[in-house]
Formats: sequence, C-alpha cells, structure tokens
Amino acid sequence: MTKILPPGLSQGALDRALAAFERIVGRQWVLATDEDRTTYLDAYAIGDGLSHQPAGAVAPASAEEVQAIVRIANEHRVPLWPTARGKNLGYGGSAPLVPGSIVLDLGRMNRILDVDPKLGHCLLEPGVGFYDLYAYLQENRIPLWMSVPGNGWGSVMGNALERGIGYTPYGDHFAQICGLEVVLPDGGLLRTGMGAMADNAAWQCYQHGFGPSWDQMFAQSNFGVVTKMGFWLMPEPEATIRLKVSLPNPEDIGWAIDALHRLRLDRVIEHNFVFGNYLRDAASTSQRVDWYDGPGAFPQSAAEKVMKHFNIGWWNFTLGLFGHEGVVKAREEIVRKTLEPHLDKPLVAEPWHRGEPIEKSLAGRPSVAALQVVNWYGGRGGHVGFSPVMPPDGRLALEQFKRMKARYDEFGQDYYTSFTMGQRHINNVNLILYNRDDPVIMDRIRRLFPVLIADTKAHGYAEYRTHLDYMQTVAGSFDFNNGAMARLNQAVKDAIDPNGIIAPGKNGIWPRAHREHAA
Amino acid sequence: MKALVVIAAMLATAAGQAATPIDGRTAFRAHCGFCHLEGGTGTIMLGRRVPKGQALLEARPDLHADYVRAVARSGLNSMPALTRVEVDDATLAAIADYLAKGRK
Repeated sequence: MTKILPPGLSQGALDRALAAFERIVGRQWVLATDEDRTTYLDAYAIGDGLSHQPAGAVAPASAEEVQAIVRIANEHRVPLWPTARGKNLGYGGSAPLVPGSIVLDLGRMNRILDVDPKLGHCLLEPGVGFYDLYAYLQENRIPLWMSVPGNGWGSVMGNALERGIGYTPYGDHFAQICGLEVVLPDGGLLRTGMGAMADNAAWQCYQHGFGPSWDQMFAQSNFGVVTKMGFWLMPEPEATIRLKVSLPNPEDIGWAIDALHRLRLDRVIEHNFVFGNYLRDAASTSQRVDWYDGPGAFPQSAAEKVMKHFNIGWWNFTLGLFGHEGVVKAREEIVRKTLEPHLDKPLVAEPWHRGEPIEKSLAGRPSVAALQVVNWYGGRGGHVGFSPVMPPDGRLALEQFKRMKARYDEFGQDYYTSFTMGQRHINNVNLILYNRDDPVIMDRIRRLFPVLIADTKAHGYAEYRTHLDYMQTVAGSFDFNNGAMARLNQAVKDAIDPNGIIAPGKNGIWPRAHREHAA
Repeated sequence: MKALVVIAAMLATAAGQAATPIDGRTAFRAHCGFCHLEGGTGTIMLGRRVPKGQALLEARPDLHADYVRAVARSGLNSMPALTRVEVDDATLAAIADYLAKGRK
C-alpha cells in the first residue's frame, strides 16, 4: 500500500500529529501501519478502495480523549473521519471520503451506560453494537425490544445517525434518539435536548430542549462527533402476529402499495416492512449460478424457477402486528379484510404470546444473515444501494419499478429491489450486487449508477443515503434555488469548523479548506 | 452464557487487560461467531468453496495461525478485514492458535 498524506500536509507534519495523538490515547491506539490502514478500507469498494484510503486511525476511550484529539487535529490541520464500529457496509464502511484522513475509530467507547427497564430508554456509547445491547437485555432479563437493521454487526448509534431502519414499530431509528452528547469541531462538549441543562432528570424522556432542537444537525453530517446517545426501546408487547404475503405478478405492486399504504397511514401496520422481489429471497440463500449462468440480466425463466423452488411470488413481504392481545387480533382482521380479496388463499398467521420462545416473536434480534446477498455473483462480493424516497402511491411505484427494471435489464444487471414502506413514504431500495474481481460487472455498475440517479431525479425523487462515491452527486441533486441547502450547510460548516477538521465532504458538505475537492 | 461472554470480552479489550491469558475458543465465539458458527453467513459462504465438512472454521484441519491472522487483517472474498480496535493483536493471536490447533 502506497503512503498517503492528508491534503496539504507533509510527512513530517503528519508524524507530528500522530505523535500528539499517541500522547492522548497511548501508542497502541494510534493505528497507522500499512496493515492497519488496510483494515479501514471499504470492503465493498467499487474499485480497489484506495481513493478513500486513510493515513491511519486513532481510537479514543472517552469523550475527553475525543475532545483532545479534535483540538490536536485543528492545530495540525488533520481531517478526522469519525466511525462508530465501521460496519456501514455498502456506504463505504469505515473508509473516509477524503484520502489521507485519519479515521477516528470510536469502537473502544463501547459502554452501555444506562438502561431504564421501566421508562424504556438507554444511554449508549458509539461502539455499542446491536449484538452487545441485545446480549445485555437478554442477560439482565430486561423486557425491552430492539429494532435491528438487516446487518446487525454494526453500531446502534452509527446506524441511527445514518438514518438506518429496522422492522418493529421503533424501526425509524433516528426518531428514537433522545438526547445526544457531541464533541464539536472546536473540541467543546455539547449535550442536546434536556441534556443542555446540567443534571437534567428527563434527558432521555423528551426529545426537544428549550428553543431550537439541534439533534438533526448531527445526522448524516460532519458538524460534530457524537459520543453518547439516548435511545428509546420498545416495551415487550403482550403478543405479536406475523403474516407472510406473496404476490404472483409484477403488476401486483400497483394495488398492493395503495392498500398497504392505507394500513400504514391508519397505523394498523406500525412498522417499516420490505416489499421485495423474488431476488431478495434467492440472494439470501443461494447464488446466481444455482439458477442461471448466462450473460445479461437474470431472465424471467430463471425467476420462475426461483419462485417455484421457494414457493414465493414475484413480490413478497412480511407484516407484523404488535401489542395487547385484543388489539393485535382486531388488527389482524383489518389486514385480512384489506388483502385477502386480492389473494387466492387466506393469510396464514404466526402468533406469539409473551412467555413463548423469543424466536417465534417479532422482536428485533441481530443477525448478519442479510450479508449473504453479496455472494450472489461469487468472488469478492459487495453491494451498493440506490435508494430514492417516493410518495407511497401504487401507480408511481409501478412506474418506478418498470423504469428501474428496464435500466437493470439494459445494463445486464440482475434486478434486486424492494419498496420499504414507511408510514408516509416509500424508500425504493435497489441493491446493486457485484463481484469486485469481475471487470465486466464492475464496468457496468460504474455506468449504471449515475444513470439511475439521473432517471430518478427526472421524476422528482432523491436518495435518502448513499455510498461515499456518490455523496457529491446526490447532494447536488438537492438543487432547489440553485442549491440553497448546500449553501446553508457550508455556511454552518465554515462557522463551526473553520479548519475543516470533521469528515470533509461527508454528504456533500465541504469546508472551505477542502472545497477544491468538491468538483 | 454466550451473550455475557461477548460483553466481558469486549470490556476486557476496551480496558486493555491483557494480563490474564485469553481463551481462544471464547474469543473466537465472541468476535467471529456472528458469521462463523453453525448456519452463519461465513459458514454458508465457505461451504460453497471448501471441501465438504470444512466450512466450520472450528472443524478445519488445515488452518495455520499465520493464515488465520492474515485473513482477519486483510479480509477474504466477502469477509471484511477486522481492525485492531475490533480484535486486538493478543486476542487475534489466541483465536489463531485455537483454530490452528498448534499449526504455525
């Protein structure tokens, strides 16, 4: 691995900064060997990942150490790239946007500081993973449920701050944040919400403070380093019911999205769920070669084989009902009344009652099974997602599906899609799977992604989250009044981070010192 | 029990307490078990390309400690590399020795 330096810095200047970091965290937690730097590369990079290689990493153990590191970074003009556990797979992992940045690895700060079983909240450090919190709740027999994303390997806090989702009524993870502690770009320490008052007793009970509420400022941003997060957890319900639904035809998406949206809007269904095509199921448990080994996009004949084998439809989704027994039963009836007239057989309900094995319930349990999909094409697998946000409208969803599928077909890429149903929106997550060692696949991915962005923008949609490589393009698609939002973000950035220390370029926000990279 | 072990292992790592010897089996299960136990993502992927019966790392007769260490630090196929923050050198050495069963 060739040496890389932070922009504008000499080797001597970098060495002086690293030595200063060592004095804060101890020698063993400044990680700058070639091997260390390899471990922070994007495992799913499109290409070799070296365009986002860090100059090293520093791993603090406390908020005080983070403050000291940020001050040193200002002094030496070294950009820091904060990461919680580095498992933001598909979006860049722990790799920095600007090559030569120092990864600020918060993984050692992994304490579960508080869990309140009665009030249903917790206070976490960045390095607490979904597995850690789950284990803690289980071992201490705390009847609170988690919402977990598809990849449960990562950090609870990192996922929430990137606006990740899960599949329980608490699945909008950012919306469960209640109080943050943040190291600001000048090294100062801030607490948001009620935490702005020292020793406030309701920090994890009320999301706002007095006056403006700044928590959103620290989501998908580079305005600070979050060191503690208050977070709401769901009290264990009395009962859950799982209903698996399959729809045989691609065109079913039209009526289904309209019907399902009504169930979401009325809060009969209270959770995000994934309305996905057959390839989701196929890629989770098998490889492409098991079904089709030819060129071009996965053909309908292979799709038929998949559907027959798994006994699934073109579209498949799982609905969940959570709550008191009577409420859950009543909701089940409404779901049946809504969907069964369109189906050829009644829905099969899988009930769970408190006291039965947790595996039967709809509790969020961490898993990495979803990572299986990257093995679809074999080799060194990876994926990126193209995920525009849309109105929850059946006609629009049908049109979007047809457009996206036509593009995948045109480029010869297997179409893997899902329409995640929020309460008032759809997130159309199109996964782009690849084998990093296959130049034919990688070439078409490079050509396909910008086309998808442009197509979707032409219809008035934009992405909710994206990979490092596309942050600038997606940020540029938010172009109202010639980029008024970008100008505000830059004005804030320059005001609070004049040296451009924290994550330059993240989500298209460039500090003055690095703005020449923005083109 | 396994869950408690995960927490304990992480706390030990966080505190840099290397004084007591690290149990390789426990560390393997805490840090690699997400993917490399029965039915795990890594086990399934390995099952597609290694001889039958060798997809479980704990059952592999041919792993060498240096190889385990290299794979953990550089990644392999769809496995991301593990940083020294996630698994420090002493813990990785214990895991590698456990999987290698004495083979260097």
